Formats: sequence, structure tokens, C-alpha cells
Amino acid sequence: MTATTLERALAAGRDSLPGSPASRPSRAAALAELGTAGLPTTSRENWRYTDLKPLWEAEFELAPRAPDAASIRAAAQALAAQGVPADGPRLVLVDGHVVPELGTFDPGATGVEVRDVEAYWARADAKSAGRIAAADHPLAALNTAYAQSGVWLRVADDVRLAEPLRLVLVASGAAKLAPQVRVVVELGRGAELTIVQHVVDAVDSDGWLNVVTEVEQAAGSRLALYRVQEHGRRRVHTSLLTVGLAARASAALGFIDLGGRLVRNDVDVKLREPGAAVELFGLLLAAEGQHVDDHTRIDHLAPDTRSDEAFRGVIGRRGRGVFNGKVVVHPGARGIDARQSNDNLLLSDQAEIDTKPELEIYSDDVKCAHGSTVGELDAEHLFYLRSRGVAEAQAREILTTAFATAVLERIAPPGVRAPIAVKVATRLRAISELPQ
Amino acid sequence: MSTMLKIENLHVRVAAREILNGVDLEIPSGEVHAIMGPNGSGKSTLAQVLAGREDYEVTSGRILLDGQDLLALPPEERARAGVFLAFQYPIEIPGVNNAYLLKAALNAQKTARGEQPIDAFEFMKLIKTKMELMQIPKDFLNRSVNQGFSGGEKKRNEVLQMLLLAPRLAVLDETDSGLDVDALKIVAAGVNSLRSPARSMLLVTHYERLLELIVPDRVHVLAGGRIRRSGGPELARELDARGYDWVQAEAARS
Repeated sequence: MTATTLERALAAGRDSLPGSPASRPSRAAALAELGTAGLPTTSRENWRYTDLKPLWEAEFELAPRAPDAASIRAAAQALAAQGVPADGPRLVLVDGHVVPELGTFDPGATGVEVRDVEAYWARADAKSAGRIAAADHPLAALNTAYAQSGVWLRVADDVRLAEPLRLVLVASGAAKLAPQVRVVVELGRGAELTIVQHVVDAVDSDGWLNVVTEVEQAAGSRLALYRVQEHGRRRVHTSLLTVGLAARASAALGFIDLGGRLVRNDVDVKLREPGAAVELFGLLLAAEGQHVDDHTRIDHLAPDTRSDEAFRGVIGRRGRGVFNGKVVVHPGARGIDARQSNDNLLLSDQAEIDTKPELEIYSDDVKCAHGSTVGELDAEHLFYLRSRGVAEAQAREILTTAFATAVLERIAPPGVRAPIAVKVATRLRAISELPQ
Repeated sequence: MSTMLKIENLHVRVAAREILNGVDLEIPSGEVHAIMGPNGSGKSTLAQVLAGREDYEVTSGRILLDGQDLLALPPEERARAGVFLAFQYPIEIPGVNNAYLLKAALNAQKTARGEQPIDAFEFMKLIKTKMELMQIPKDFLNRSVNQGFSGGEKKRNEVLQMLLLAPRLAVLDETDSGLDVDALKIVAAGVNSLRSPARSMLLVTHYERLLELIVPDRVHVLAGGRIRRSGGPELARELDARGYDWVQAEAARS
């Protein structure tokens, strides 16, 4: 039996790690921690429904080289084909490497600083760099060890970037690459930023993209982060988003999953100080062998914090969705408002969803509402539309689209929302037209 | 005049219970007929069966619209053949906006008739005057179907849809229920504006007051799943004065 990529990576230890000598200690610590924690298997509760064994058994290049000219040309074509806007500020990463010639963001005097993630690893006060516990998030530890250039964004106090920043992650078509992409976002006091994270493939391939996005928000800052995942249908995508919010900071976080073969999104939000608020939402579409797993956790660590979470899934033939949403209200956190909902539409007998909302409350004076639903289209709604002359297939499409787009209403900027709604409608039509 | 709707010996079952057992009814082109009857007599069942609701089982009988067998058609094809049902309880459909539904319905019917679909501009022109007639506010078009509407607004919305789709046969299922006098007048004005020699209507109602505003050509009394009596508009006034007991008693004797 030959050793797998990951076994070899663990065995090789720090000698196999990329990056500069300055970042090596953070990377090596993460790798060692991963060695102790072990790789996730379905015997762990958090990974029960999502089997990553194919990843452990495959051969992957964890630290791909910077893309060549041909890859960059292919990436540019993919961006145009997927309609990623080029007029506003954008940063483009191909296989985890920043490609300046595809970007249009000139931070100049905006008050936004864009740095290499290497610098983040190496900084002297790296309190949090690489500090995501491998026991909770083993893939994040792997990411810390192997991440390439990545992006470290810092927005100075009271700076408000008016236009949404497009952060585009492109996976190239080269065989068996597993880029480990790292994004770090730090918002100063009162800073405001909107990021649209586009995840696209230059060419559909059997690769794996593992993305970790770390966000720290100072008091009174506001972040909107919308991620649109449009991989080809062979790609594996895993992601972790961690967000820490100080007093009165607020975040709107949206996850739209349209593509990929095996997708796992982890979201970890910490409401650390009074007045912090998060709106977390998502829409997953899955069919034809797609598996999409949304795992979220929100910690109310301080009084008067709010969370509003809403995920929806539309699952077609041979699709599978997973939702696990945990909300923890810690001792002493009074005046909490926490809502959570997960609603799913199954379009086929061969569609599957596993949904598990979890509330853990260790405080009183808490207003919590949660619920999950799994169902088919409402027969009364269908009859009403058909009685007006709308064909059954069109009536189904109208109702399915209405169910899905209700989530998209939460994307505030109309210029961001409208193109996403079009992509969602297109994919829904394809799923609806499958034989059920 | 030629017969538009012909119902022959209609038997309908819902969840193993026979609700209609031998309904015969003919409506000539251009006429307005009313079906009255006590609660549970099968009035709404008849309306739903005409529109094609699938959980109602027709065990025998025929329904012909202009000689065409309606029972062989799915709901959307009945609508395209000219059947319109104003629902007793119009449902809310979150996320589907009124303008979208109205335009989709109109264009589905136009396309089925071999006509050109209309564009957004023509649609707005067409709907505007009808909304004024039904006293429906402008922002309504961008709202979800019936969501957050009062009972009266939902009923007015049903009549608005009917005005737009201009059906050959309009079936109104207790469109008067739950309306105050002013709303009732608006609804009646809408319905009366559609009266035409080329259109027939079937009004299902519990109360005579609607028939003061929309005067029918014929009134039928449905009781125990069958039509027990038919007459002119004066029959409605008689029912209003005497109630339904005497009809049911007569039915029991026959």
C-alpha cells in the first residue's frame, strides 16, 4: 500500500512545507497539531454525513506552483464566461496565488491595505495566525500549513469602501491540484466593507480547493461577505469561515452553492462583545451526485447580541444536502435574540437532506426561535397557478424559484443580488428539468 | 342560444364520501346562473371539479364546455379552454409577485390560442384600468400573490385576474363571503362588466344579497349532492325568506 498525499505530508513534517522561513513556525505548529488531531472521518459527529475518505486516498499537490501564462489566460476567460464584473475593484487568485494582472483593485489611498498572507503568518503579534484548533477544524490546520500567497486585507478605522470588492478564487484545470487558499480580513473600528467571493473553475477537473477565511471585526464595523460557489461538477470544495465580532460590529454572511461535487462549508461566528450582530444565510442547490454540507456555529459570548440565520436547500434527483446549525448562548449572555431556520425542498424521490438545528442555552433572558422543514412543493400553490393556465412544469419552476430566491433577498446591494438570482434561476431550471 | 356548459349526471367522491350524486346542469351562452344551497351541499365541490382539482374523484357523468370533454383535461388546459375559477379561499404564494403571475397566466393562454404573447408595456396598459375598476392600489403588482392581503383584497384580486383573463366560463365560488357592502359593490361591478353574450357565469353563493347586485338568469338549489329546484331570480328571494329546510324536506320526500 502506498502512502497517500496526506500521510506523506504528515510524515515529511516541516521539510515539506512551503513559504518563507519566517512563516515556517506557524505552519509547522499547525501540521503537528493536525498530526495529533487526525483527519476527519465519518465516525466524528461533525463529519457524520460527509465522507472525505476520497480526499485522503487521492494524490494531490497541496502547494501548487504559481500559474503559468496559459493558466492565467484560461482563468481570464472563465471570469468573463461566469460574468465576474471587471469594472469594480477585484482581486484574483488562481490556485491560491494572487495574479496581479487579473486584478483591478488599486488600494492606493483607500485606507485598505492588501498584503501577502505570508506576512500575516510571520507577524510578531500573531495571536490568531494559525490558531484555529485542529481538533475542531482539521482542514484549516492543513490550510495553515500549506497555504500559498493568499490575501491579508486590513481596513483602517472608519474607512468605508463604497463598492463591493470582488475576491475571485479560480481553480485551474491542472490535474490533481489541491490549493490551500487563505484569506484574512481585519476591519478597524467603524470600518465598512462588502466582499463578494466568487469561486469558479477555469476548467472542470478532479481538483480540491480548501479555503479558509478569517475575519476579525473591531467595534462598530460592518461587513457583508457573499460567497458564490460555481465550481464545475467534478471539484471538491471545502471551506471554513471564522468571524469574530467586537462591540456593535455587524456581519451579513451569505453562502450560495451552485456547483461542485462534494462541498463542505464550515462557518464559525463569535459574538464576543455587547451589541454584536450577525445575519447568516445560505442557499444550496444539489442534484446528480452533488453533496453539499453546511455546518454552522454561532457563539453568543456577550449580552445583547443577535443572530439571524436562514439556510435553504433545493435538492433534485440524486442530490444530497446537509445542514447542521448550532447556536450556543453562553452563561451570563443576557438579552439574546437568536433565530434560525432551515427549509428544504426535495424535487425527487431520489433527493436527500439531513437537517439538524442545535440550540444550547446556558443563560436566561433569551429569545430563541428555530425550526427546520423538509417538503415538496405545496399542492395548493401548484393547483392555483395551473388553474390560471400556467403549465405544470412552469408552475413548478415558478414556485421552486420563489422558494430559493426568498433567501437571495438578504443580499442587500441590488447590483450584487440580480446576477446571482439569474445564476440561481438557471441552475434551478436545469435541476427541475431532470427526470424526477 | 347554444349551450356553453353541460353537466350530465355528475357523481363526485372526496375521500370515499360521495358529495355529488347526479348533478345535471346546462348554462346557455351569455347567461349567468347561481347555485345556492345549505352548507355541505356540494356547491364548492362542483366549482372545484369544474376547475380540475385532482383530489376530487369523478365516478360517473360528463362535463362539456362547448361540446369539449372538460374532465379529460388537466387544470391548465381547462383554463386555456376558457374556464376560470375565483377561489373561495385564495391562497398566499410567497415569493411569486402578482405582475409575474398575471403575465405568465395571460401569455400561457394567449400562446395556447395561437396568439402573440404580450410584452411588459402592453401588459401594464391592459392591467391599469382593470386595477382602477377593482380599486386595487398600484404597489399591488410588485407584492407577492395575496400575501398580507385582507380577505376583501384577496377576493378583489380574484376578480381582477378574471377581468384580465376574460374567460369563456367564469365560476365564482362564494366570492361574496366575508365582504362588506362597499367591497361587495366593487366585486359586483367587476363581474357585471364582464357580462357578455359570449360568456357564461356560475355564481356559487350562500346569500341572496350578491344576487341583488349581479342579477342571475337562473337560480338552482343544490342539496344533498343534487339540484333540487331551479327557477328565476325570485327563487333566490324565496330562499332568503324561507331558508333551505323546505327544499331539503321536499328532496327527502321525492
